[in-house]
Amino acid sequence: MREADAAGAWHADGEVLAAYRDGRLDTAGRWSVEAHLTSCAACRLQARALVDPARLRRLRATLIEAVDVPRTGMVERLLVRLGVADHTARLLAATPALRGSWLLAVAATLAFAVLAAWVSRGPDATLGFLCVAPLLPLAGIAVAYGPGIDPTYEIGLAAPLRSFRLLLLRAATVLGTSTLLAAAASLALPRLGWGAAAWLLPSLGLTACSLALATTVEPLRAIGITAGAWVAALVVTVAPPEPSSVLFAVAGQVAFATLALLAATVVLLRRGHLESDRGFDTTPRFAARRLR
Amino acid sequence: MTTPAPTVLARDLTMTFGRTRALDGVSFELVPGVTGLLGPNGAGKTTLLRVLATVSAPDSGSVHALGLDPRHTDQRLDMRGRLGYMPQEPGFHARFTAFEFVDYVAILKELHQRRARHQEVRRVLELVGLGAVRGKQIKALSGGMRRRVALAQALLGDPDLLVLDEPIAGLDPEQRLRFRELVSQLGEGRTVLLSTHQTEDVVALAQQVLVLHLGRLRFVGTPLELAGLARGHVWQSQERDPGALAAWRTGTGQHRNIGNPPPGADLLEPTLEDGYLLLLGGDQVQEAAA
Repeated sequence: MREADAAGAWHADGEVLAAYRDGRLDTAGRWSVEAHLTSCAACRLQARALVDPARLRRLRATLIEAVDVPRTGMVERLLVRLGVADHTARLLAATPALRGSWLLAVAATLAFAVLAAWVSRGPDATLGFLCVAPLLPLAGIAVAYGPGIDPTYEIGLAAPLRSFRLLLLRAATVLGTSTLLAAAASLALPRLGWGAAAWLLPSLGLTACSLALATTVEPLRAIGITAGAWVAALVVTVAPPEPSSVLFAVAGQVAFATLALLAATVVLLRRGHLESDRGFDTTPRFAARRLR
Repeated sequence: MTTPAPTVLARDLTMTFGRTRALDGVSFELVPGVTGLLGPNGAGKTTLLRVLATVSAPDSGSVHALGLDPRHTDQRLDMRGRLGYMPQEPGFHARFTAFEFVDYVAILKELHQRRARHQEVRRVLELVGLGAVRGKQIKALSGGMRRRVALAQALLGDPDLLVLDEPIAGLDPEQRLRFRELVSQLGEGRTVLLSTHQTEDVVALAQQVLVLHLGRLRFVGTPLELAGLARGHVWQSQERDPGALAAWRTGTGQHRNIGNPPPGADLLEPTLEDGYLLLLGGDQVQEAAA
């Protein structure tokens, strides 16, 4: 099985190497060939000639991929575990609104609203909570994407990924996390019941509305308009001495469900506008001004 | 020798921010190879590069790059797929490692297939000499290393057009040398436009030079032609010549003067920097001569 060269050194013969390549050697034989190959350049060269270079490259890539993928962050690992595609998870992990500081701020706001409800314990103690909760996803989306907020905004603008996809992905994540937090907080309200969940539909409706508006004006402005409209609607409908609002009654809830559907349709139909307005016209002008 | 077909055609680009005219009727063509964009601060270099990188649209005028017109959404996205852009002040997600960050940009560039993408990320990080620190968080990297991370992301997908805004700023001499080697390799077959303050980098790298001043293109030509502008306008003397536009004492103890030389002056061979200084200060020189 082995042959000596002119200098008297031993080498593996072609037949052994071919058997090694095809996986026909037993464990001891395989180990002995591998031990020899690590120390003998001549045999390595001979073995290399026996293997298909494309297969070798493939194997090498597999090996590198297996041993050399840097550790990813906690949010990303969690998302991948939840079944999110790894590239989408990376996009989401980069959302500024998913930072610990932001989540902490949302949690603190909700805790404050819950505390206020416990302190007042009036007939509609949950009103404050219901008013605040729908604003949280809006604020989250405002800090999810845009010049001065997303550090890679400038690089992102020059990349082919559609802004529509990025904005929607991040809006969905922000809506998801703030909804989870608000749902958890509403469980701590003094009076649990159907009314404690009356923020959910306004939350959806306002988020969808702000995205629909973002197809026409700058996203930050769209969010500002939506938030302003919500506050105005509250001021108009919460008429003292009765501390409640029609917005949280059945009629208001139906209206918000309809609004959410309508706005989602608008977003879908006008997604092209989101593309041409962002990254090429209005928003970058703002960014450019900041840079100069 | 035939001139290669232009890959970038800019026509009459104009852009205004408030009262400032950042670009004022700028027209030029780029061919494959390295082009240096020179100009003082506030000349409009960053604005011009952002327009070429499809980050902002000009108020008027047009850019065609790689046969594509970015005014059309589909062509703009195609163009973005084929260009690499390194902004002047690239932002980073500081929590990300170098690998994660470049991987993130690779995803923005729609390289979705995980293994191929990771391979590409490793390739560009190796190219800029950051292979060994790819697992380090960006906030732990030095300023020069961060610049190289920013350069690495621009190289993803082997783009046909590279737009680099002050890529050399903040690099130490050894890194600059490595960078020059890399860019000159990249310039073979690709179109590279880089802005810089350093005239010696342009001399070392560029086949073409653009000089931008107050939003206007003041010069388009080869580095030799730019140096040639100062022929007959550079001289040496024992003392600083009061009539010179600019003068400084060199290592030999002699003064190097740029401007309109007095009769019988000891003329020197001009450098690109001389040509550049003369071009920017040309108005004053003309006035002095009148």
